[in-house]
Amino acid sequence: MGKEKQADLLQGTLDLLILKAVSLGPLHGYGVLLRIQQISGEELVVQQGSLYPALYRLEHQGAIASEWGESENNRRAKYYSLTALGRERLGEETVKWERMAGIIGTILSAVAE
Amino acid sequence: MSLRSWSAGEIARIKSWLGALLWRNRLEAEMDAELASHVEHRSADLVRAGKTPDEARRLARIEMGTALTHKENMRGALGLHRWDELRADLRYGLRMMAKNPGFTAVGVVTLALGIGINAAVFSVAEAALLRSWPAAQPERLARITATTPEGQDADFSYADYRDLAAQSRLLEGFVAWSRRAKTLQVGNETRSVLDDVVSPNYFAVLGIRPALGRGLEAESAGGRTVVMGDSLWRSAFNADPAIVGKQISLTNRSYTVIGVAPARFHGLQRGIPTDLWLSVSSEASAGELAERSDREYEVLGRMRPGVTAEQARAELGMIGRRLARTYPADDKARNLGMEAESERLRAALVPTLLLQASVGIVLLICCANIAGMALARAETRRGEMAVRLALGAGRGRLVRQLLTESALLAGLGAGLGLLVAWRLIGLQAALLPPAEFTLGLDLRLDGPVLLYTAAISALAVLLFGLAPALQAAKTSLTPALKKDESTGRKTGRWLTVRNLMVLGETALSVVLLTASGLLVRSLVNTQKIDLGFDKEKNLIFLDLTPGIADYNGQRSLDFLTQAEGRVASLPGVKRVSLARRVLLSDSGGGTYKIVTIPGVTLPDGRQSLSIKYNAVDAGYFQTMGTRLLRGRDFTVADNATGAKVAVISRAMASRFWPGQDALGRHIVVGGKDGDCMIVGVVQDARIVHVGEETEPYIYLPLAQSPTGEATLIVEAASPAATLIPAMRAQINDLDGRVPVGIRTMSYLMSQAFWSDRLAVGFMAALGALGTLLGAIGLYGVLAYLVNRRRKEIGIRMALGAGRGDVLRLIFRQGVRLALVGAGVGLAASFALMRLMAGFLYGVKPSDPVAFAGSVVVVLLVAVGASWLPARRAAAVQPMEALRHE
Repeated sequence: MGKEKQADLLQGTLDLLILKAVSLGPLHGYGVLLRIQQISGEELVVQQGSLYPALYRLEHQGAIASEWGESENNRRAKYYSLTALGRERLGEETVKWERMAGIIGTILSAVAE
Repeated sequence: MSLRSWSAGEIARIKSWLGALLWRNRLEAEMDAELASHVEHRSADLVRAGKTPDEARRLARIEMGTALTHKENMRGALGLHRWDELRADLRYGLRMMAKNPGFTAVGVVTLALGIGINAAVFSVAEAALLRSWPAAQPERLARITATTPEGQDADFSYADYRDLAAQSRLLEGFVAWSRRAKTLQVGNETRSVLDDVVSPNYFAVLGIRPALGRGLEAESAGGRTVVMGDSLWRSAFNADPAIVGKQISLTNRSYTVIGVAPARFHGLQRGIPTDLWLSVSSEASAGELAERSDREYEVLGRMRPGVTAEQARAELGMIGRRLARTYPADDKARNLGMEAESERLRAALVPTLLLQASVGIVLLICCANIAGMALARAETRRGEMAVRLALGAGRGRLVRQLLTESALLAGLGAGLGLLVAWRLIGLQAALLPPAEFTLGLDLRLDGPVLLYTAAISALAVLLFGLAPALQAAKTSLTPALKKDESTGRKTGRWLTVRNLMVLGETALSVVLLTASGLLVRSLVNTQKIDLGFDKEKNLIFLDLTPGIADYNGQRSLDFLTQAEGRVASLPGVKRVSLARRVLLSDSGGGTYKIVTIPGVTLPDGRQSLSIKYNAVDAGYFQTMGTRLLRGRDFTVADNATGAKVAVISRAMASRFWPGQDALGRHIVVGGKDGDCMIVGVVQDARIVHVGEETEPYIYLPLAQSPTGEATLIVEAASPAATLIPAMRAQINDLDGRVPVGIRTMSYLMSQAFWSDRLAVGFMAALGALGTLLGAIGLYGVLAYLVNRRRKEIGIRMALGAGRGDVLRLIFRQGVRLALVGAGVGLAASFALMRLMAGFLYGVKPSDPVAFAGSVVVVLLVAVGASWLPARRAAAVQPMEALRHE
């Protein structure tokens, strides 16, 4: 983990967020964007330029699967849903993230002796 | 992550990548649709938030940014970048190749030559050394061998073979085979065929299923069956589908054809295909098969599945010792062993590597040449490389693109090279010595050969493509963009690596051409040698072997005399005579007798000498055209009851009785009853080789020296084609069991000169190849030179130099390189040609004509190679060169 560059870290985080968003129900690309925004309490807006490459990467890796369908305003849209592989990955990445956050928290709360 | 999910992930990745490749258009359309749908949703939201539809759409699009960048990243996520770049490189490479037809043509042809020759030689190595036994599951087969105090032996008696088969537990089957020769009679024609006499389980153990009919099985006594080979079936029987069940006549015995072998199976002996397979039960009596001291059979064993070579070998050793104890008279001191397939391959590896390495040098030279030309071209492409680097291409990308171009060139070269290899393989028939039987390896461009070709092509790409690619990627941008050449490396050194290479190639050409020249002169001289008989005569030779049909001694003589009489009576025959051996035939090598010469002191205090001899009948010298110098020819009176006489060659007469008359002298030929009186002296003749030293030679009357094989020498008035069937019919009439081999004078001459002609052809081909490569190398160097010195040439022309001056400048460079190379080559030739002295006839190894000739050829070729670059140099426009291209 420590060897990842800054960009990779953010990329990994975005993947995790997308997986989480999709785990709550199938979404199209724009919907993923909205949902992440929503469940972060409007704190996080995903950059549009990173969204679709990330979605395609996750699908390439087999974590999500896509299907064309009709959206709420009767337009065609590509819906993404979580696969079994993706669910497994979501679980593992969540555990890793929480552990990382805990470690960093511990470091940051170190007091000068 | 567990292994299962990792592998599932990998599979998903591969599926996704393949899907993206195969349905690319749909992918692109979907990407467009998805991005468009995103924009629509966003505008809908913005409209809901209060914007006008137009404004909403505009805002949404601005937020999205350029779809192009998104799509590039999306494609990247799918792993399509490498693939797209490869396709682009290939297209670009093809375009570049089309724009430079000269370079492309020379490169492809050079590579085709190098790769083709290597592929052809590898197919020979594969057929002769590497290929496994042509049977099912060859890895379980092993040749059985015996180690004796005299060395290794691979021949066994049939009785030993039977014991082996019975006693071995670890080997499930053994086959035995023995090579014989027979004459096949089809209609009026007889032809010589090679057959294998084999154990009845031959086809079964080898796992060969006949294409027609069935294989040999244990036949009941009296039934003579034969399995025919595919090539004989096609050539002699026109692939008759009803051949099974037909009777054929082999050496005057009748056999039933019970099957035809599959097309690819030619028996177990590489290089000498089998025409027919016969069973031991019909070829040898039970008594003969029980004879343990007759070792005529080779044996192959098949190991049971799971048995290792060591185990099998141990068991064989044990059986061998048991046999040695049981039959001490025959099998003592024979240690049985075997050569497993893996060992055979390992032993074959070294000669294969040696062979391939020596031919690989040719490919190396080709690659070096192309690398030189590519480097020259790279000079002109510096601007292009600089622009691409400036636009953001990584140096690695550039290298990849240039390597792709090289790979394209190599691909084309390999394709053409396989064609070259195919043609070279077809030359095998022309290169083999003339013989009665069809010899030759089963050369094919099959899997291993194709694999090898692909491997050396890939290697070639690295060899000739890597250096120019790396060089181009190192281009420093600013000078290249400014088309400024003054910062280029200006080495005053004349002895650069590339110049050295051209020097080397030129020197090599000179050596090869000199060798060719010497061999050609030698061949011309040998053609003029007085052979000691008249080679212009229309002679036909019938090689008879009555000994095979159990004629011997006087009976053989009677047979031969009768045959002679019958043939002499045919119309169109001028004269017939008999000889034990025909001069210059490849058989016998000139048998000899021990001779003592009373009254003459032999050198080194020896008591006797071995002298080559021939047994001939009266009229031989006249028929052959050998001149009688003194005395008389043999007559009918010189028969078994008459006094023993001999005729000797002039060399013998002058050696032992110099300055005196040899007539009437006596020599003792072969033992105490061999006292002969010399009654004639004839001119010297060539006995074994055309270029040999003159040796003493003795002729004895055939009647006094009977033999089981002799040749009828027929001087024909009619063309051979009309006479041959009639002559054959006469011999068959007399006794059809006696094999007849027919040769004409032209056949004899081609046999005699075959090795000389082959050597000349081979060396000349090498010489031509070497010269061609040298020319290409020189062209490359000069082209590079012209490119680099364009500005200098422009300055010269601006200062008043004319076209002729520029031409002379370039030509001088080329000729100078060639001269230095030729000089080195001449020196090398002086040293090396000495090695050829033994092969040359009538030509000294330092023959000035050959040396001068090769230098002239090389210089002419150098001028030719310099012509194109020189022309290009002279076409330089001074103003343009001074400015920039």
